[in-house]
Amino acid sequence: MSGKQYLKNQLPVILINLVGMLALALFLIASDNNIQTVLFILAVWSFVLALCLLSFYFSRKKYLNKLLDMTEQLEERYLLPEIMQVPEQADEQVFYQIMKMAEKSMLERIGEVQGERKEYKEYIEQWVHEVKTPITAMKLLCENNRSPFSRDILAELENINQYTEQALYYARSEHTEKDYSVREINLCDVVYNAIADNKYLLRQSNMTITISDIENRVYTDEKWVRFILNQIIGNVIKYHAEQPILHFGATKTNDRIVLSISDNGIGIPESDLPRIFEKGFTGQNGRTGKNSTGIGLYLCKRLCDKLGIGLTAYSENKGTTISLSFQVNDFVIGVQG
Amino acid sequence: MKKKVLIIEDDFTIQTQLKTLLSGNGYEVFAVTDFSQTIQQLKEFAPHLVILDIKLPGNDGFEICSEIRGFSDIPIVFVTSSNTDMDELNSIMLGGDAFITKPYNIAILLAKIAALLKKAYLSPQTEIFTWKGVALHLESSLIEYKGQKTELTKNELKILYYLFKNAGKICSRNDIVDFLWDNQLYVDDNALSVNITRIRDKLAAIGLTDFIKTKHRQGYTL
Repeated sequence: MSGKQYLKNQLPVILINLVGMLALALFLIASDNNIQTVLFILAVWSFVLALCLLSFYFSRKKYLNKLLDMTEQLEERYLLPEIMQVPEQADEQVFYQIMKMAEKSMLERIGEVQGERKEYKEYIEQWVHEVKTPITAMKLLCENNRSPFSRDILAELENINQYTEQALYYARSEHTEKDYSVREINLCDVVYNAIADNKYLLRQSNMTITISDIENRVYTDEKWVRFILNQIIGNVIKYHAEQPILHFGATKTNDRIVLSISDNGIGIPESDLPRIFEKGFTGQNGRTGKNSTGIGLYLCKRLCDKLGIGLTAYSENKGTTISLSFQVNDFVIGVQG
Repeated sequence: MKKKVLIIEDDFTIQTQLKTLLSGNGYEVFAVTDFSQTIQQLKEFAPHLVILDIKLPGNDGFEICSEIRGFSDIPIVFVTSSNTDMDELNSIMLGGDAFITKPYNIAILLAKIAALLKKAYLSPQTEIFTWKGVALHLESSLIEYKGQKTELTKNELKILYYLFKNAGKICSRNDIVDFLWDNQLYVDDNALSVNITRIRDKLAAIGLTDFIKTKHRQGYTL
């Protein structure tokens, strides 16, 4: 609350007091009072007036600052009327009422939007599940009628499946806590499954796959990690070079197990590296012909954050290494032991 | 005796294709067509294993599963397009033996079915294949010809296994590599040639020549 503005607002009070002082002075002088007495009375009046104004100002300022602080500390500020005291002054009570009304309409709007979002999310999930039936049917059709042609279709089906999964996980990524279960899984199983998910795409690009020492047990959600690996493998396939190589390896330190996925593809320019996990960032590779959406790695990062997996990328001119670092904390070791 | 598999799946294409696939892999297959009579049809067919979709017209897969569990312990493989934890948990709680999400990896599906059947019925199958007097021992990873034996590496064993399984037919290089990939052996086309050469050398050492024949531009055959 600014003092100047307060003073301005109190102008009518001050003016009335000044008029009162003038009238009293005139009356006292007219009734033959000594000038000193008049001045003294006026001085006392002014002093009391100033004291009043000041004390009001400070008490108001204290009260309002408290409200401001409270609001700032609130995460959802529109909920202030729920926790503030009901004011005592008549005009403030009106403002309080207005705030209450605003809060109510805000809550209604939020509820509405949340409901719509939820419905949409459910629709997306349902759609993805439904589209998986024809994908499965096509996969079986191809598998039962093998030819070089069916092989290409199977590769495209893997692409379609990846995109639908992406939509599903995008919809789910908001509320991960509802849909994950942390279990002990073997890293090699999830890697094998992810490779199997991309088998025909990998074969199509003549990828050489090498795997070393990934027999590690980690505690995480298999589905999510598999999805993350699928996105990474998808990128490896997309940005592969001639005679592509894909390597999976794991290293174990005191409290972490790091799974690294390296390739010898076109790599990521140093200037792009810090931004690859941003939503919609396509970078130089994305601009030069390769169709890139900037969603895959963003989703990976988001899911990793929720699962407590460290996700880092490293690239030097050629080739990229993406590392997933799983925490093996004391609690887990305690349970194991 | 052929193992009997019952398919409970409402999508017609998947139903017929799954039937073709499983028949092709040596199972006797029956698919439920009238979903109001699922249990009766199951009792009549008396399968060794059930493949069960969750979303079905009428009773859903969970209900059918608990009904089956009321009178039988046969392995039940849940197949579904929804991969939520709730569904997986439900299927396990109700006594399902496996939970596979669509679109499933065909190799994994077949492997799961084989594993469950083996576990449930303990078929005393000797893991030996023979063809033209040559015996392939899967357990000990050996190949035997006229009393002479030679050891095989993992890759070599799997390649020979595939050729023995399809003995008499031509196996394309692509199919062999696909099969190896399904078994987590990620060899490429060149490595396959190297492996085949090595197998031939080993076979020659036990007095077997021209066992694996190359069909130009088509693949290999025994």
